[in-house]
Amino acid sequence: AEQNETQNEAPPDQILDRVQFLINNLSISNCAEKANDLRDILERRYFPWLGNYLVVKRISTQPNFHTMYLCFIDSLGEYGKGLVDAIIASVYVNVGKLLRSQKITTSTSERSLLKNLGSWLGQITLARNRPILQIMLDCKELLFQGYETGMLIAVTPFVAKILEGAKNSNVFRPPNPWLMGLMGVFRALYNVDDLKMNIKFEVEVLCKNLNLKLEDISLRNVDLSKRVPPVKEKNPDFNLKSQSAAAPAAALSPD
Amino acid sequence: SINLMEELTLRGITQFYAYVEERQKVHCLNTLFSKLEVNQSIIFCNSVNRVELLAKKVTELGYSCFYIHAKMQQANRNRVFHEFRNGGTRHLVTSDLFTRGIDIQSVNVVINFDFPKNAETYLHRIGRSGRFGHLGLAINLITYDDRHNLRRVKQDLGTEIRPIPAQIDRSLYVG
Repeated sequence: AEQNETQNEAPPDQILDRVQFLINNLSISNCAEKANDLRDILERRYFPWLGNYLVVKRISTQPNFHTMYLCFIDSLGEYGKGLVDAIIASVYVNVGKLLRSQKITTSTSERSLLKNLGSWLGQITLARNRPILQIMLDCKELLFQGYETGMLIAVTPFVAKILEGAKNSNVFRPPNPWLMGLMGVFRALYNVDDLKMNIKFEVEVLCKNLNLKLEDISLRNVDLSKRVPPVKEKNPDFNLKSQSAAAPAAALSPD
Repeated sequence: SINLMEELTLRGITQFYAYVEERQKVHCLNTLFSKLEVNQSIIFCNSVNRVELLAKKVTELGYSCFYIHAKMQQANRNRVFHEFRNGGTRHLVTSDLFTRGIDIQSVNVVINFDFPKNAETYLHRIGRSGRFGHLGLAINLITYDDRHNLRRVKQDLGTEIRPIPAQIDRSLYVG
């Protein structure tokens, strides 16, 4: 990761300040004008830095401005070529960091960063008919591994937000087979006993957004039983009914 | 003693002041907006006149801003506030008309371009309702004439307002 950061050479302070000022003052109504300003301020060789800056400092914390940043990037035209690639590359790097973080299942702020990046990723890829390549991010495997390792609490909202981007895509909206395959995994997970309500709720919201009914989604090629079933005790993904949780403990008790 | 509204809190808000001369204020604002990571900000002035002047000035400097003040018709005020809440602009220049604190989650920076005369006004500007215990940054531009008010506000509210450091830790006010 550090190596990656040194590759993203930052511009001199004076230019950096002007770029920050510009971004602080960006709004939907002045996207085109600010895009012109950026062209005058920043050389394209700083795009790896800018992409990373936007992802880490803005996009991950400002979901309310995702539409605006998309509009801004579109306004950059020919000059902006390469910035989208830099942004997507940085998203994958930072998603990886968050997924490997020790705190991702316990820290709501880390989870919200991950969710925001998911939402953005869906917008800048699926919504624009760009694929999410398996070699960059294997969504299906991520859900399965989330199930096995008690990380569904972080992974479900993340993948659900990504897929929300398929809503208005000509290519990826239902019944696109890649999407429907993932929806099949979501349906299978939804049916796992004792799964927490807020995780189920993410799936319900996604179905609603994609105009799908959960019971209509095919479970083809989805077999959770081939995966290692998680231990549900002390697992952030599950809420054991108090009786079933208490009973075995009582049985083991020496008193 | 003053009548503080119970539900407003300064918890989660980091407060700083910058000691400036009146004529340096706009420049200071400029510097802040090139150093901070602003999601949305609210900038307070002490009079209707100054709201309009500042909004004009900062628009010329390339800010994305709306203004709102007590002498505008209620319908217009509502419209501006609604647009700001929807992210129409990044900054809102205003006089004191928020009576219950700011409950806009995306506002992470509040600036007292003019320092308020008393603690109650200060709390109304900076304080958040407890339910939304979000992080935030409050920056006060203090002139020589404000020095006693600053001390009084700190005392009355029992709160810490420190001089602004060269670098502000972003974990204090970003997500």
